[in-house]
Amino acid sequence: MWRKSKPYLLLLPAAGTIILLFFGGIFDGLLKSFGYFPAIGETQLTLAAYDRLLHSGSFWESMALTLRIAALSSLLSAVIGALLAVGLFFLTDSMKKATPKAWYRLFQLPLTIPHLVAGYIIVLLFMQSGFVSRLFVAFGWIDDITDFPVLVNDPFGWGIILTYAWKEAPFVALMLYPVLSRIQGSWREVSRVFGAGNWQFVREVVVPVMIPAWVIATFIVFVFTFSAFEVPYLLGVTYPSVLPVYSYQLYTSGTLADRPEALAVNMILAAFTILLGLVAYYFSKRWNVLKGWS
Amino acid sequence: MKIYPITAVSVLALALSACSSEQAGSATDAESLLTDDWSVIQEAAQGQEVNMYMWGGNDNINTYLDKWVAPRMKEQHGIELTRVPMNDAQDIINQLLDEKTAGKSDGSMDIIWINGENFKAAKDNDLLWGDFTGQLPNFNDYIDADAPEVSQDFGEPVEGLEAPWGKAQFVFVHDESKHETPPKSMAELADWVQEHPGQFTYPAPPDFTGSAFVRQVLYETTGGHEQYQQPAAEIEDLEQRLEPMWQYLNSIEPYLWREGETYPESLAKQDQLFASGEIGMTMSYDPALAASEVLKGRFPESTRTYLLDGGTLANTHFLSIPFNASDKAGALVAINELMSPEAQTAKLSPENWGDLTALELEKLSPEQQQAMNEVNLGEATLSIEELEQNRLPELSSDYIDIIEKGWTEHVAKE
Repeated sequence: MWRKSKPYLLLLPAAGTIILLFFGGIFDGLLKSFGYFPAIGETQLTLAAYDRLLHSGSFWESMALTLRIAALSSLLSAVIGALLAVGLFFLTDSMKKATPKAWYRLFQLPLTIPHLVAGYIIVLLFMQSGFVSRLFVAFGWIDDITDFPVLVNDPFGWGIILTYAWKEAPFVALMLYPVLSRIQGSWREVSRVFGAGNWQFVREVVVPVMIPAWVIATFIVFVFTFSAFEVPYLLGVTYPSVLPVYSYQLYTSGTLADRPEALAVNMILAAFTILLGLVAYYFSKRWNVLKGWS
Repeated sequence: MKIYPITAVSVLALALSACSSEQAGSATDAESLLTDDWSVIQEAAQGQEVNMYMWGGNDNINTYLDKWVAPRMKEQHGIELTRVPMNDAQDIINQLLDEKTAGKSDGSMDIIWINGENFKAAKDNDLLWGDFTGQLPNFNDYIDADAPEVSQDFGEPVEGLEAPWGKAQFVFVHDESKHETPPKSMAELADWVQEHPGQFTYPAPPDFTGSAFVRQVLYETTGGHEQYQQPAAEIEDLEQRLEPMWQYLNSIEPYLWREGETYPESLAKQDQLFASGEIGMTMSYDPALAASEVLKGRFPESTRTYLLDGGTLANTHFLSIPFNASDKAGALVAINELMSPEAQTAKLSPENWGDLTALELEKLSPEQQQAMNEVNLGEATLSIEELEQNRLPELSSDYIDIIEKGWTEHVAKE
């Protein structure tokens, strides 16, 4: 009995804290999004905040921008990540042990950098008065720093997409690489025996093996970029802003009256994220990504 | 090694005595603090641990409190002052609201540093303790309690709920070596902006400084501040009255940094643009900020600050005690100490902070006045006289909300 329940009991303090703080916070936010806030004398539950939100143009513009940025960032990092993983796989295949390991470590490096720092690095590098722009002027490729294309705080969100591509591509690559590394060396030889070139080997063996993990990794990146705050806050434009920033602007607007709306935005974000999570989970079950293959 | 057990015992004794005194009806004790003699309060404050919750985003301010204030508090009053950094004064109000919701009577905050917008929210929701400023000797000695900048905070009557700590004033910051004659009115600014396209911008409201800049525009383009001294709800044609301000802001927009497509999201970003030379001007609600940035080497040596000919916005910032503070006596003594001429003089120096004093200069003794006048404010800072002669009062906070929302609608979206 003790042996069986011991792991669960040991997990209890950590799990309890997480449940209390995480779900407690979500529940509290949900209540407040319905306008329930006893400390300021509001005790009635209404859907007014959601109603106002769904009828406001700013909300839908934010939604469109958020979806566009999340879709483009996840697609871009998925493609780059897949190329990196395949490249890493062939490196391992053709070289001695030490070199691919060094490359592998190099790809791990961006994972250790916080998103806020990554965003700031992009600001410092790619702003019109940034490092790259000044370098271009110094080399005479452009006449003035204002000739440099606007990549940071641009209405399309290139700066944000760039940051995510740089941050998440290695994440995708490192999700895929362990899957690829299980392709046995003999398979390559067998494919050669049957006359397959490198390209055919990739198409017929590597890609099919990679796809399930790749789709899941892309899902994760999409959900993350969809609900992330700091990078769009730092690199976005004043208007329109992505949903998490929009929520922050409402929440900090000074009046308590806007809070239900701010929290309603968060609830919509959370609901959407859960929905996407369920979809990802469904596919992962179906394709057995979690169990792997043998 | 010998000291260790003794300290442990005394800490234990202190903790026990603190417990027992609190159990003996802390509510009645707290009420009597509002009428007790100052010596009784000082005695009660001995050994208390005072948590000061405040915005933690400025190294100079933090160092001033940790290195200058806290040791003196310990030495002179036996008070352990702990600074608790917060991201925004709004977070302090949020946390207090949560404590109130949870029915927490021995709160974690003893002193809070808030500004007008948050003060109104705190006052409206009964988050502050009571009318305490009359108890403070330094308040009674050095403050003119009837002066409008002390009796009102962003148009909201203070009613003794908070004590003035310092004053700030809106200033523009420019690089003298690049632009010798900076624009000193909104009309001149419009011309300047057209002559120097891309060289000017302001932080997007609700950033505190950006919002203040918009109010500055409001005063000049709609005919002065006097008309806004009544509640916003009482002005029927407010929408129309604000119209010239939106027109002005939209008229300069095409010539702003990045053609007004976007605005810096914070003053920090704006300052960075200025420091890297991408824009030619910045602004601050802290008259000494430019001086301390020059000291740090971020802004060029030739950085100067200036005011508009018609004067600029000024406000007073305040310290308050929450309704559920655990160590109210300690909080009273600490706030009194922060308002002492010595602490205020140290605060004035740009090396410490550079914040203007809340005290009435005429009420200080000649020596104290001299000490204050001798503080080197740095070349970038204007003299206290010049600042004081060009002050404009703040708007009440209900306008600020209308203006910040209106800005998004009328300027950012256009």
